Amino acid sequence: MGGAAFSDATASHPASATAGWKAWLLLAPLLVWLGVFVALPTGLLILTSFSKRDYLGRVVYDFTLENYLNCFDSTWLIIFGNSILYAFLATVICVVVGYPAAYTIGRASPRVRHLLLTLVMIPFWTSFLIRTYAWISILSEQGLANSLLLASRIFTDPLPMMYTPFSIVLGLVYNYLPFMILPIYTSVEKLDNSLVEAAYDLGAGPMRAFSRVIIPLTKPGIAAGALLVFVPAIAMYAITTLMGGGSNPTIGEVIQNQFTKARNQPFGAALGVLLMLLFLVSFLVLGRKKHAAHAS
Amino acid sequence: MKTLRNLTLLALPFLLAACGGSKPAGAGASNEEKKLNLYCWAEYIPQGVIDDFTKETGIQVSVENYASNEELIGKLLAGGGKYDLIQPSEYAVEVLIKDNQLLPLNQEALTNLGNLAPEFRSMPFDPGNKFSVPFMAGFVGIVVNTDKIKTPIKNFSDVFVPAHKNRIVILDDSREIVSWALAEAGLGINEVTPENLAKIRPLLQKWLPLVKVYDSDSPKTALKNGDVDIGVVWSGEAALLYNDDKKFQFVLPTSGAHLFVDNMAIPKTAQHPNNAHLFINYLLRPEVGKKVADDFPYYSPNSAARSLLTPDQLANPASYPPAQEVSRMQTFKDIGEQAAAVDALVTEIKAGGK
Repeated sequence: MGGAAFSDATASHPASATAGWKAWLLLAPLLVWLGVFVALPTGLLILTSFSKRDYLGRVVYDFTLENYLNCFDSTWLIIFGNSILYAFLATVICVVVGYPAAYTIGRASPRVRHLLLTLVMIPFWTSFLIRTYAWISILSEQGLANSLLLASRIFTDPLPMMYTPFSIVLGLVYNYLPFMILPIYTSVEKLDNSLVEAAYDLGAGPMRAFSRVIIPLTKPGIAAGALLVFVPAIAMYAITTLMGGGSNPTIGEVIQNQFTKARNQPFGAALGVLLMLLFLVSFLVLGRKKHAAHAS
Repeated sequence: MKTLRNLTLLALPFLLAACGGSKPAGAGASNEEKKLNLYCWAEYIPQGVIDDFTKETGIQVSVENYASNEELIGKLLAGGGKYDLIQPSEYAVEVLIKDNQLLPLNQEALTNLGNLAPEFRSMPFDPGNKFSVPFMAGFVGIVVNTDKIKTPIKNFSDVFVPAHKNRIVILDDSREIVSWALAEAGLGINEVTPENLAKIRPLLQKWLPLVKVYDSDSPKTALKNGDVDIGVVWSGEAALLYNDDKKFQFVLPTSGAHLFVDNMAIPKTAQHPNNAHLFINYLLRPEVGKKVADDFPYYSPNSAARSLLTPDQLANPASYPPAQEVSRMQTFKDIGEQAAAVDALVTEIKAGGK
């Protein structure tokens, strides 16, 4: 997904039109990779989504639309809606928290910038599952956060933070924040300072310069970041299961259940195809915004 | 078409002869390569036990894990003979036998079979251990933090009361959840039919909104961290909590509950069936069974291993509840395609019940 979002930006600058055989040769590894790991699995997924199953859960390749019709039951639509809501909240919070951070990093002196970027990357050195388990011990009722709150006498009873929608969104924000910071940082770094100065010279205050000059110029970064956070956050199931305690199921958990518990791979595949369509739509919408920002 | 079939018929005896010839039927003598591909539950066979087996026999064991019987069945059927030894639960054994997926065990190679307690030699899903050998058993029961909950807890109906709202952890397993409601409603836990699912729906609609955490992997975590005070969990998890702190008491529900039995079995497609027999027989040794029970305090089906346990281990009420209570427990039967309906019902109430 990330690769696509970024290459998209370069593709908008038209290069020489025709590609020779050397170019195709250079592209060959990527094409093979795409064929084996993207096109083939997607084809299998679509094929499975139109199939039936037997009592052991084996896929029977016999055409049916039943799986798709089942998707439009209110249960799954509510869960789809909740998942989109969690992902949307996480994306908004990531923008609000990530933008100032990315801006500061992008405007810092090269030495400090390097240090700050390393700090953003450090969490990736540990598996996200381990970091999510760390949050469990921070947020639980006898955890670090509640102990501090109780000791400081701000609260007399422990706050239920773990296994709530709050902890789900927190887990998503925590894990995806770097994916927001890095693309915005790239935009901020490329920002031409003379344009900001020109805004000041023409009488704009800091607020106006920010909203009319800086934000529009860094919009491609925000759009890329939003895409990198929103799309994987909808389908994420590991974090939401661990932090949400399963009482607020997300679509990722439901799909996983079809494969691991319900012996209903075709239905899981149909939900997966719908999820892919949803990604395609959000990609097109955010991609168009990005192009609009480029054009202006 | 007809000629083709005749040709196949002609070729059949040769094919059979070829297959028969490639597999020596001998019990002990094995010219198999020294490998064993084990596909088992995560956190169930201690690494030390596997290492000792390799040291003793020179057989390299590679382990892959699954988290549900459905995952096992799915991968086994798609795996094309990758696995030599699997660990299905009782209803999965039943369905794999029915589907002709398991290799009949060579009873002569399993010299330690007599170490099993008599009731585990005649389980309803595989009487006489023709295809499977019990590895570990356990119960699904109620664990109560008696520091926080003072009312007597005897049954599921005592767990799911408004006073415990948001203080409950249960297994994230739709089949289990449905079986508790069936037991509470006085229906058999294996009578999963659309009519019975409709009957227990109101009960689940009352119960599930009270639940705070669904967790099958480590339900003890939420209890230990104090995020919940009561739960319906695997007995091994309850036993670990009890070892940690005696305030965590285990109760087997009076309406009866699930006795699960996880078994060793060999898929028909196994490449190393002799090594698999060796490993099963090794696991049946008393001292090996004890090591397993030390690490995972479930209900050991191995009475020879049980006699090696310490009085403390045997006194843990979650590991070894009174015999008359154990006799009330029931094993699961396979529910086939109803699995999807069960999952849909529970997910629907989870998502909409709040």
